[in-house]
Amino acid sequence: MEMLTSLKSEKRVLGRAIAAKARSNSHEFLPWLFLAPAVLIYSVIVIYPMLYSAYLSLFRWDGISPTKVFVGLENYVILFTQNDVFWIALKNNAIWLVAALLLPTSIGLGLALLLNTRFRGSHIFRSIFYFPAVLSLAVVGLIWTWIYQPDLGLLNQMLVALGLKAFTRNWLSDPQIAIYPVIVAATWNAVGLPMLLYLAGLQTIPEELHEAAKVEGAGPIRRFLYVTFPLLRETTLIVLAITAINALKAYDIVYAMTNGGPANKTQLLSTWMYFLTYNYNQVGLGTAIAVVLFLLTMIFAIPYIRFMTRKT
Amino acid sequence: MSETVSKPVFSGNKSTRTALLYGGLILAALIWFTPVVTLVLTAFKDAGDFALNGAFSIPKSIRWENFSEAWQTGVQNYFWNSVIVTSIKVPAGIVLESMAAFALTHMHFKWADRIFTYILIGLIVPIQMTLVPLTLLMNALNLIDTLTGLIILYIGFGVPFGVLVMRGFFRTIPAALIEAARIDGASWFRIFYRIALPVALPAVVSLCILDGVATWNEFILAQIFLRSDENRTLPLGLVQFSTQFATQYDQLAAAVLISVVPVVLVFLFFQRYFVAGMGGALK
Repeated sequence: MEMLTSLKSEKRVLGRAIAAKARSNSHEFLPWLFLAPAVLIYSVIVIYPMLYSAYLSLFRWDGISPTKVFVGLENYVILFTQNDVFWIALKNNAIWLVAALLLPTSIGLGLALLLNTRFRGSHIFRSIFYFPAVLSLAVVGLIWTWIYQPDLGLLNQMLVALGLKAFTRNWLSDPQIAIYPVIVAATWNAVGLPMLLYLAGLQTIPEELHEAAKVEGAGPIRRFLYVTFPLLRETTLIVLAITAINALKAYDIVYAMTNGGPANKTQLLSTWMYFLTYNYNQVGLGTAIAVVLFLLTMIFAIPYIRFMTRKT
Repeated sequence: MSETVSKPVFSGNKSTRTALLYGGLILAALIWFTPVVTLVLTAFKDAGDFALNGAFSIPKSIRWENFSEAWQTGVQNYFWNSVIVTSIKVPAGIVLESMAAFALTHMHFKWADRIFTYILIGLIVPIQMTLVPLTLLMNALNLIDTLTGLIILYIGFGVPFGVLVMRGFFRTIPAALIEAARIDGASWFRIFYRIALPVALPAVVSLCILDGVATWNEFILAQIFLRSDENRTLPLGLVQFSTQFATQYDQLAAAVLISVVPVVLVFLFFQRYFVAGMGGALK
């Protein structure tokens, strides 16, 4: 209806009359018919399983036997008090989350600022920096596994060539550090989206504001801090929410690069859920982890959903 | 436009600044693209060359056989499975999603906001939260280890993003246009496919591309619900390939490159739709 209000007044009156007529004529049944296929399949595939998982997390069950034993919150207690790998996974998720909120976002913003101006070749640079975002995380994981390969991998070869042999490592097999190389690979893939969103956000800032600030004598850093960045507030909120939600979804890249190892040191909640459920038949514990992951996601998702539904 | 944000970061005269900007960007781009270059170089190398000189060197001779060997070792099979899944899922999904989005934007439906919020939940649900019940469901329906089952799951999980994008575009269609057609006596179905869909064609293309790439790349559902080698899709098949032929980097790189080529082509030819599609998701 918002479009109508922008038309001239007589058209507005006419439009209102038409809209009122259409409203009174439209049967509530027809919209449901349009919605039914999507809403039905979505409810069966996403919503119902989600609720059922929450229910299953209250049982001790191996996924096969016909009887489930109701144990209340025992699975959660076990996870938090007896399951060491759960804590490793939780810590890795926290590290991953912090890295995701800092790195792809700031790199994406930096690139967007550099590439927002149109100069010869700017769109080629945009394509190059966006490109890793279209690759599957399984592929990203495989490519980076070769880079980290201890003998023939590019990283160690470069270090040797630069005379930094002391820094060479068996990157993905060192339990102390293995999660970090995986995060670097994930960052390579994650930069494209914030860059794209920031580029879109920058397009909406009127040129005159910069000119005005310039006339006032503001340097580039002050212009960024006091003009550009405040006007990108909305974009920044979306970028942070989406990168956080995506970071908590991480799974494929860990599976492809380390499969949770060495010694479970690179497990995430998502991968540990898979291990417990499908390798160890601990369905109760697995679903409880999924619920924990869901609750973590909600912290970032609620502001995001609020934002997405704000205009309606 | 040219004086906005980037250049003033550097001091000095204009040509120095431009040179610095280009130099910095080219260096950054080279570093950024190194993993891709490594992949391509490895894919064209023979195994001996790789073992001797590592990944990042110019191949001694171009070895096309890597591709044919990888293709015949199973990649062919994974590739066609991915083609089947993507080419059925994407159009089917878009039909459902755009119908729903149309109802939410133009049919004066009083539940529209609530249904939209309900659908948005799907964007944030960690997929792990659905796996166990879905395993039970797929088992009961005898759809484990079938491409049909996987396609149904993909359609279900695709609904939130698809509705979000299509709704963003449908909202830009003037209500007056729809009302005018109503006055002329057109049915809602007719308005949907004769007016709304054609007007939103750029959105449909954008969504096809974003969704196509996402479907082509999907891993976890394929991993859980496909069991036999002959049913595997590309990402799953590649990871499997990598654990089975861990030392055959040349063939593995060729296999990865084969899987990436369709995505690269789509990316090169339809690049602007990526931006448009993401824009639609934020409207």
